[in-house]
Amino acid sequence: MTTMNKSLIHLLLVCCGTGCVANGAREVYQALKDNLTSDDKAVLAATTSARATGCHGLCAQGPFVRILPEDITYCRVKAADIPEIVEKTLKQGEVVKRLLFRDRQKKTLVQGQNDIPFYQRQTRVALRNVGLIDPSSLQDYLERGGYRTLEKSLLDMRPEQVIEEIIKSGLRGRGGGGFPTGLKWKACAATPAQPRYIICNGDEGDPGAFMDESIMEGDPHSVLEGMIIAAYAVGASNGFIYVRDEYAQSVASLRKAIEEAENHGFLGENILGSALSFNIEIVRGGGAFVCGEETALIASIEGNVGEPRDKYVFPSEKGLWGQPTIINNVETWANIPVIMERGASWFTSLGTEGSKGTKVFSLVGKVANTGLVEVPMGTTLREIIFDIGGGVPKGRSFKAVQTGGPSGGCIPSELLDLKVDFDSLSQAGSMMGSGGLIVMDDRTCMVEVVRYYLSFLAGESCGKCVPCREGIKCLLEILTRICHGQGEIGDIALLEDIAETMQQASLCALGRTASNPVLSTLRYFREEYLEHIEGQRCPAGICRELSEFWIDPVICTGCGLCLPRCPVEGIKGEKKQAHWIESDKCIRCGECIDSCSFQAIKVK
Amino acid sequence: MELIIDGKTCKANPGDSILNVARREGIAIPTLCYHEAFGGQGSCRLCTVEVTAGGRSRLVASCTYPVSEGIEVKTSTPAVEKIRRNIIMMLYKRASGSVLMQKLYREYGCSENSLGEKEEERCIVCRLCVLACEKMGTSAISTVMRGIDKRVGTPYDQAATACIGCAACAHICPTGAIEVLDSGNTRTIWNKNFNLINCERCGQPFATREQIDHVSRLSGIEDAELCFCEECRRKKLVGKMQGFSPC
Repeated sequence: MTTMNKSLIHLLLVCCGTGCVANGAREVYQALKDNLTSDDKAVLAATTSARATGCHGLCAQGPFVRILPEDITYCRVKAADIPEIVEKTLKQGEVVKRLLFRDRQKKTLVQGQNDIPFYQRQTRVALRNVGLIDPSSLQDYLERGGYRTLEKSLLDMRPEQVIEEIIKSGLRGRGGGGFPTGLKWKACAATPAQPRYIICNGDEGDPGAFMDESIMEGDPHSVLEGMIIAAYAVGASNGFIYVRDEYAQSVASLRKAIEEAENHGFLGENILGSALSFNIEIVRGGGAFVCGEETALIASIEGNVGEPRDKYVFPSEKGLWGQPTIINNVETWANIPVIMERGASWFTSLGTEGSKGTKVFSLVGKVANTGLVEVPMGTTLREIIFDIGGGVPKGRSFKAVQTGGPSGGCIPSELLDLKVDFDSLSQAGSMMGSGGLIVMDDRTCMVEVVRYYLSFLAGESCGKCVPCREGIKCLLEILTRICHGQGEIGDIALLEDIAETMQQASLCALGRTASNPVLSTLRYFREEYLEHIEGQRCPAGICRELSEFWIDPVICTGCGLCLPRCPVEGIKGEKKQAHWIESDKCIRCGECIDSCSFQAIKVK
Repeated sequence: MELIIDGKTCKANPGDSILNVARREGIAIPTLCYHEAFGGQGSCRLCTVEVTAGGRSRLVASCTYPVSEGIEVKTSTPAVEKIRRNIIMMLYKRASGSVLMQKLYREYGCSENSLGEKEEERCIVCRLCVLACEKMGTSAISTVMRGIDKRVGTPYDQAATACIGCAACAHICPTGAIEVLDSGNTRTIWNKNFNLINCERCGQPFATREQIDHVSRLSGIEDAELCFCEECRRKKLVGKMQGFSPC
């Protein structure tokens, strides 16, 4: 383990992504600033600077303080730890070991961020600046090469060349549809009507997904630069960034970036002395999941109810106010400048045959290292969940991973070696969606999980078309019944019948994919449905009416951990003797199972 | 341009929907949320048909799908019929109090299943009422909530100031879900009471004061000219025309 070189100029990066801010990152940053500038440490202030950055990605371990150039990464830092970091590390050149990342598999301490397994297998393209720059500083972005490609595109390339480059890169929309971005631009440029509009879709609504948030917060200029390049390519004069209302920090970050870009001639009239004039406005969404669907989003910007329309004519021909409109997701926009900088052939060297480049996933659920990961397309689920994510915690076993948000599908352990890209996920009955990965362990009831997703969609569908509105209602009714032990034999066929109609006849992608959770679990976990209906048993011990718990006396050590966790005092037994559950008292909450370190508590 | 519907070559204009063309050609496609006054909404999806364009077949809503040269449309395939049957089944489960839905449920041969029924409900949220109200220039009702709770209502379910009691919503409703209670000279609709005024000629109560004022304001026709019920207005017109011969 190397020590610090005190004679170098040091940069301290404090993660101030929304997750870390909730865990006191702002206080950590303030404490650091205070400690560096206090009088007796004036020397330190001259050789050290602190920077509040966007999300570092490994959210389970935040807040982070990362010291460059040595790359010493401190995890779970509290404001109270700052004096010690300043005193020991910055002044004496010693590493504070208790704050280092603990690799539980290898049982070692890891000093640098680049040595943490979570980061080692990642390729950061869309997230290239997130966590390194201060998002409020245009200077930071320029130092990382920002706006250079805009200049190159604007001054040295013709619009059609820009479009050609994006087509050649094979970039596909990162918002879920996977439509080729370049073709979308080409169609827009080929539609004669003026004016034309550019929209950034920042209405990330999947529960547990925050990749777009992290880019908007941590690297807003890359989104702006992508949009300005597109404005040049298709001849647009106005742009809109639609951000969901919950993302206050994203809005603040983007607002500041727009202001700075305007002040420096990257936005406004005659950008960089060229003929291009382009403005960007922020529109705050009202928090409806369906407004992530592009035609609903457009309706929302127009001031109408956020309901989709049929897309037999694409927005690239008839979009906002009936004009040609390019609408791309945040992550897609962040990819544009780097493709223009490094070229389409570099981009196509990453990824698979049909899906080029990288994809950011938000890895959440029952996985050790929750956070944001960016990997080349074609990385297997196993690599993402086990090598990067560190596997399922608490000695439990992996059961399924839900990809693509609430209307994605659940993929079982047999398919862990699936190479993740747009096409392979669709073939497996799921979808890429915006890149949510929710890991589930053996304490997950698949029927109950699907019921949860359907109840989410029941509130978030716009309710305009019959297959989606009434279909979700019917599916939810049947699933609820099955979870309560009132399922009937015909229910599975009925679920499949309704799900198929929803897929084929719904108006928008939300309705067409809303039945994915049902269909994918019926494909991979059909037995579990049958157990609920015919066996009147929930194998995961989640559905209360169908669960009964018992303690295996051979395994139970009588440690007593479960006793205080039982809310009804239903567990009995002497210390160091096998315990038992009084079944008439048990309310089947499952607290005991989750507290047992020996997996001695079983479901009948 | 030309397209083929169920084997028949049909002429169409750019901007036509498949449904427009089919109706002109006398080819029946069932609808619930469509009305020629408003154009296609694409919300009930009962008008789903199979379209083959550029060698690729897909299921689309015929009321919103714009025709293009050479497409081939099939208005009734097993897949289309199955979708229609399921749509009717689901809508019947929602609105089994409606006579129309009961009739369609039988017609489409929907099978009995274990889905629950709500007897009282009649509304199928086709939104024709909302569009009619909008067309009247009042917009007193709209859809409220979203997802499975979406329904039609006035703002906060209170008596709407914008409502003129014209009952256009109730007239257009295909399932009779909107209640209009006329009793003597009083009309109650959407939780609001109106006084009905009497026809100048026959003395029957026929319209609300607010409705006459609204129409007068929009059309520029004097109030006095409007105060006749439909029957008497027709008779009056015939009287006027008696002295007029086009030959």
